[in-house]
Amino acid sequence: MPTISRRNFLTHAASLGAGAALLNVNPDFFFSSAFAQSGKPMVFLSAENITGNWDPTSHTTLSQINVQAFVMGFLTRTPMRLDNPEETVYELATSIKLLDANTLEIKLRDDVKFHDGKPFKAEDVKATFEYGSRKDRPAQWYPGPTETLDITTPDDHTVIVNTAKGGYPAHLFVFLASYLPMMSATDIAGGPSGPLTQRLNGTGPFRFVAQKGNDTVLEANKDYFRGEPKIPGINFTFVGDATTRMLSLLNGQASIVERLEPEQVTTLEGNKAIAINSVVSVENKYLWFRCSKPPFNDPKVRMAACHAIDLAMIREVLGSAGHESYNYVSPVKFGYTDLPNYPKYDPEACQKLLAEAGFPKGKGLPDLEYITSVGFYPKTKEYGEVITAMLQEQGFPVTLTVLEPVAWNERLYDRPGGGPGHMIDCGWSTGSPEPDLVLRTHFHSSSKRITGIEDPQIDASLDKERNAPNLEERKKILQGETMPLLAEKVPALSLFTSVMIHAMQKDLAGLFIYPDGTMDASKTTFA
Amino acid sequence: MFVLSFLVRRLLQGALIVFIVSLLIFTLLRVVPGDPVRLMAGGMAPEALIEQIAKDMGLRDPIIVQFGRYMSGVVQGDLGQSFVRPANGASTGGANFNDSTRGERAKVLDLILETLPMTLQLAGLAIVIALAFSFLVGIPGGLAPGRWPDRLAFYISSIFVSLPNFWLGIILALLLSVKLGWLPAIGYQGFAYTILPAIVLAVELSPVLIRTLTASMAGIMMEPFVAVGKVRGLSRRRIVFGHALRNASVPLLNLLGIQFSGLLGGVLIVEFIFDYPGLGLLTINAVLQRDFPLIQGIAIVTSAIFVFINIAVDLVATMIDPRLEY
Repeated sequence: MPTISRRNFLTHAASLGAGAALLNVNPDFFFSSAFAQSGKPMVFLSAENITGNWDPTSHTTLSQINVQAFVMGFLTRTPMRLDNPEETVYELATSIKLLDANTLEIKLRDDVKFHDGKPFKAEDVKATFEYGSRKDRPAQWYPGPTETLDITTPDDHTVIVNTAKGGYPAHLFVFLASYLPMMSATDIAGGPSGPLTQRLNGTGPFRFVAQKGNDTVLEANKDYFRGEPKIPGINFTFVGDATTRMLSLLNGQASIVERLEPEQVTTLEGNKAIAINSVVSVENKYLWFRCSKPPFNDPKVRMAACHAIDLAMIREVLGSAGHESYNYVSPVKFGYTDLPNYPKYDPEACQKLLAEAGFPKGKGLPDLEYITSVGFYPKTKEYGEVITAMLQEQGFPVTLTVLEPVAWNERLYDRPGGGPGHMIDCGWSTGSPEPDLVLRTHFHSSSKRITGIEDPQIDASLDKERNAPNLEERKKILQGETMPLLAEKVPALSLFTSVMIHAMQKDLAGLFIYPDGTMDASKTTFA
Repeated sequence: MFVLSFLVRRLLQGALIVFIVSLLIFTLLRVVPGDPVRLMAGGMAPEALIEQIAKDMGLRDPIIVQFGRYMSGVVQGDLGQSFVRPANGASTGGANFNDSTRGERAKVLDLILETLPMTLQLAGLAIVIALAFSFLVGIPGGLAPGRWPDRLAFYISSIFVSLPNFWLGIILALLLSVKLGWLPAIGYQGFAYTILPAIVLAVELSPVLIRTLTASMAGIMMEPFVAVGKVRGLSRRRIVFGHALRNASVPLLNLLGIQFSGLLGGVLIVEFIFDYPGLGLLTINAVLQRDFPLIQGIAIVTSAIFVFINIAVDLVATMIDPRLEY
């Protein structure tokens, strides 16, 4: 006859109780779905982190500019497509008119409010222009410092910008209008450590809710002047690893990811649930010469190096991530043209110039360092090795230094006595058709960010194109004088124009991606 | 009384170890090439500004003076402020140090305290999974030395030890998350996000645990007290789980203490792959951003955790087996 002990009875009773309790556990606690679905916010995974200071004039960081594009309003937007690079769409402005060479009239919409409820008025444009032009603002987007500007507001919806004191034309603000986020005059009055740094307050389709760790949380702005967005919000998250971003897209957690490697594009192209968006960007990738120290202070040596590099081979390495271009700005920027005198692969010309510079077959050249990064831009290490090999083939004693982004960034800019190394790889991307955001920033002696070049002829030409009385005249000078002069003096070699590649869920519709990577999600839906 | 003297002795030893680790990390970070001030100030900052900031922050004082200043803060619970992270904890980059509108910097201790529970949750679950699996495979292996359960345990641990965690993480995410849709993989929105990275870590932990358990169990089963147990009329289950397993657990427990250090190393890679917001991801970002105060803080806290775990393991081991003395 079977018996039962007190111990066994207790053991079995406890097991039964635990089993019954388990049946009542709601497994959703463990397995709640977080996958992107209709009615859920759009989840954007960014390849780059933000700065931690929400003041739009405090940085030039692309990821934060992407967040700003969702939240902030702009006087105009420029879609910058290859077939119509100069197209302008009015947003907060209803018209922008050049009254004379130094006077610009901006008319504004009268039905727009900031997210904190303050009506958008001319005073906000005036405050934004004046604050952003201050010399201490790190972004330095404006054509001249605050004291060179006279800004008046005849009524609440008209702004007059006069640049006569600065001696530069007012039309420079035309292209910048699509690049400068409009801030509230009240926020700006709060001072440098006021609300501007704490959160974003704009007029855009999404309002800033909170920063939670690496997640920037945005929600739809119900009062958006073009109508409430269809999606309830956007989660903008920094995820540093490209594979992680792709996995997250594949399992449906992410709605859209950026900066795909060409191999990832090939993998995703076969996936029916994923759509790929490629757009020729505003970003050119450059090989920058340190022009303030030997041997690249000699234009002949620079040109010799340019003739040693076969750009077609570099584009081959890049695959779908590179677009052919022969100028110092992207083809979607104002003034672009394929320059007839852009340096071509020509080993004979390279050797001739080296001999003329006193370095026949590279003999006598010092050991040269070419610095590049890995992990941020696609294929930099791979095409860096190709460039190094091509330069070595012509006698340049070059070694390639590959650094992770922070160490590379620390060595990027010019400094007294010349920046580190002799050549460095970097892209430059600005979300406006304005070419001077690249040309003047890098090649005018007042800025010379990476190259350190000081050349009175280039300065004069850059001043001349900037001071042209109107855009037609400016384009003529840019294409006929300034850009060819740069191709002759080669302070840098533009290697190609980047192609901005995003991958997204196929059911994500109505998202417009600008060539600098910023987006308009005001009409986005999940089908 | 024994416990008290044990704790006092071991805690004093532990404090010395943490102090030495702190000194080493502090010195190493200051002698490696690259000026953190240039990273903070931005590439274009003039030399004069770099020197000014360095002087203001006391970074040009002798290392021993800097270390003394730092440790006086540490003993008061102040691990300093991050060089780059704002108070909201976001991983940041690109801002200029001398920008007057720069937001408030995050306290290192706050950043660690926010992320440490996440990592402990991950590590805890990984250990639970690893132990459960190791017992399931290791005990039958130990009870049948030379026969198929033993061989199975050997093969499983050999395969597991050969799997790189970064590869396994990606494969499991592809299989369980992308293909089957069973588990979420990236980031953290709830407990479910801990399961997949914990499985990867458990696979990393299991081989040593399985081998130790198998060998230890096989050895114990040969002991005279096991044979005596049978004579006393104890059931096999009682002998195995009540006596043999208890004795076999001591080496396993000691091993767990050591394994935990390996686990924290694995956490770095696994948290990065799964974008899991724990101490590992914080460490990687701190290193990538040269956020020296944060790296120092994490090093001190993790070395303190190692010391504490080892003390706890030794203490528990003496409770399981009173013959042990530490």
